[in-house]
Amino acid sequence: MQIDTTAIVDMLRLAQSPREFLRFAKGNLELWANLLIIGWAVVFMVWQGTGFAISVGTVFAIWAILAVSLNLVVGFTGLLSVGHVGFFGLGAYTVAILTSDAAYEQLRTEAIPTFGLPFFAALPVAILFAGLVAVAVGIVFNRFRDDIFVLVSFGFAIIAFNVFLNLRSVTRGAFGIHEIARPEIGTWVFDGELEFLALVVAFLGLVVLISWFIVTSSFGRVLTAIREDEQATEVFGYQVTHFKLAIWVISAMMAGLAGGLFASWTTFIDPNSFILLESMLLVCIVILGGLATIWGSLLGAIVFVLLEEGMRFIPFLPAEYVGQARQVVLGILLVILMLFRPQGLVGRYKL
Amino acid sequence: MQLFSWKRIIALGLLAVLVSVVVACGEDEDEGDEEPFRIGVMESLTGPGETYGQVSNNAKQLAVAEINEAGGINGRMIQLIVEDSKCSAQDSITAYNKLTDVDGVKIILGTSCSGAMLGAAPLAEADGVVMFSGLATNPDIAEAGDYIFRTAMSDAQLGIDTGNVLWADGIRTLATINESTDYAEGVRRASVAQFEKRGGEVVAAEQYASETTDFRTQLTKLLSANPDAIHLAAQGEFSGGTIVKQLRELGYEGPIYSEVVPVGSEALKIAGDAATGLKAITADLDPANNKAQEVLGSYRDRYGQVTLPWYLGSAYDDVYITAECLKRTGDDQDADGFRDCLYDITWSGAIGVGYSFDDKGEVVGLSNVVVEVLPTGDRTEDNNGYKVLGGAPTE
Repeated sequence: MQIDTTAIVDMLRLAQSPREFLRFAKGNLELWANLLIIGWAVVFMVWQGTGFAISVGTVFAIWAILAVSLNLVVGFTGLLSVGHVGFFGLGAYTVAILTSDAAYEQLRTEAIPTFGLPFFAALPVAILFAGLVAVAVGIVFNRFRDDIFVLVSFGFAIIAFNVFLNLRSVTRGAFGIHEIARPEIGTWVFDGELEFLALVVAFLGLVVLISWFIVTSSFGRVLTAIREDEQATEVFGYQVTHFKLAIWVISAMMAGLAGGLFASWTTFIDPNSFILLESMLLVCIVILGGLATIWGSLLGAIVFVLLEEGMRFIPFLPAEYVGQARQVVLGILLVILMLFRPQGLVGRYKL
Repeated sequence: MQLFSWKRIIALGLLAVLVSVVVACGEDEDEGDEEPFRIGVMESLTGPGETYGQVSNNAKQLAVAEINEAGGINGRMIQLIVEDSKCSAQDSITAYNKLTDVDGVKIILGTSCSGAMLGAAPLAEADGVVMFSGLATNPDIAEAGDYIFRTAMSDAQLGIDTGNVLWADGIRTLATINESTDYAEGVRRASVAQFEKRGGEVVAAEQYASETTDFRTQLTKLLSANPDAIHLAAQGEFSGGTIVKQLRELGYEGPIYSEVVPVGSEALKIAGDAATGLKAITADLDPANNKAQEVLGSYRDRYGQVTLPWYLGSAYDDVYITAECLKRTGDDQDADGFRDCLYDITWSGAIGVGYSFDDKGEVVGLSNVVVEVLPTGDRTEDNNGYKVLGGAPTE
């Protein structure tokens, strides 16, 4: 059996560091053009209205946590998962249910068990729960690779959605759960939009830091090796399944965290927020930004959210078709982006 | 070189956006003192609730065009700023923030989806912004706050009416099938609650996911329980029509009751003759109400086809109620005055005569009607394929 050594050299080189990012960015006009547009768009939104910019910022931060965590699995390890939304939903529902208070007992429509936990107690439970489910699911999923893996992760997203929809005694089914508590520390409640943005960005920073630590460690290099050649990595004596399971669980826990934040931010969740389409958009963001780069995922999330929300400012659309027209423009822009940068905005690894 | 064209595309794109923004800003500035009343609209223009959102938006555009053509409100026009809230809490929150923060709107007409309504309602309540919906029917919205109003009747009301109709028609055992959505689920729950309260018994119940296309197994299960009647609650017209058709194909000859979706034009096309005699308890426009017929006529003239007539009428009335309240307050920034006006107002429009709002912002004075589907030969565009039998019995 022949081992392709250039692949291994490649893997080592691909490990991310800020220095390499800078080297990459230097003289890269496309990247600067992108950053310029983004910068301009951010300024534009803030100038339009700070409250709106804050809510767009929160949407961005939540999507960025999801994108960075999904990139660990898709970009760094090479497992194309479209089931990420399942863990996102698990986190959201766990927080929503654990923080639900006595008000729910008086509702005319379906009541759910009430725990009344504070947000910061519920969030770790949500993360752990998403992790536990990921362990159970991951043990099975480890038997699959490549295109089959895509299909089983697809199945997971469908199952998760149907559980949210049909486990009505716990999730209230299609009614959704509303009046979800905002986080509070002592007497200080994160009910202002700016405070909440700060909280989400702090968590995003934490996720980026952890991800960075993972991909620059020897553990991360093994993941990259798995992506490039799973069998070769196995030949080197690595227990590939353990590595794949570990990153799968870590990624799921981060998605659970994003879910918990999302539930608390919107204060209302229903199964519609966790449909397969959201997973697809997430994969889009990861590919748009660039596989196997953390910066890329952040960039992808910014570009995507700015494109989608920026559509609201396109003037002169007929009032009757304003929604559809915006979606069409968004679709065309994404196609154009992919046409010119199939490897993503800053990525170098192609699926 | 490819890189070159890529840069050029970016530059062109940037230029286009810049130009459009400059033009848009320029347009804002030369409005002068004849500034229009600015009202926000949030509808599900794309995604799962698209049918409802589109009809609702169209009806509002129609009403505003009429008001503006007639000279506006004391000479001031109404300007609607439309945002897509999809059917999701997240999009509804960003749409809400865009409307209130960027456009400075204090009065929002919408949303067409209960999920989107419940997502933005807490913000509106905290900011003191009025949200006024013609379509959201989730019972939980009643408790959403002081600034939240709707002309849509709560699913709870529809359920009570349905239970009473079933009982009055002599139905004592019932089998139910419903789509797993908040609307269909809510209708079933409330209907069954009232039916059981009157003394009826539910002998079988089935649920199906929105993408299901074959219902024979589930329907056979329902029929084996031998019920007096079957109640169907659907969210999509395809499944609604298909279930009616497959029930008849399986040899069931007893009565079928439903809510509005299975008597929609698409559903009736799918069910064909199988739908004849199907009874639906629904909010429908009164054929004797001249205003309603007039609205349907102008809607048909403008958009070619009428779907969901009651919801269309509800959205249309919302705009005229808004116009009346703006006439009284004279200020689109005065949300408190607008709210008080809504609590105070009694309105006669397309969806009913002399209706008003209670202290929860729920509409009172409207009622559901019972309609019966006509044989295929008698269905026309004007009668929508069914005839209105009359109001739902109260006891």
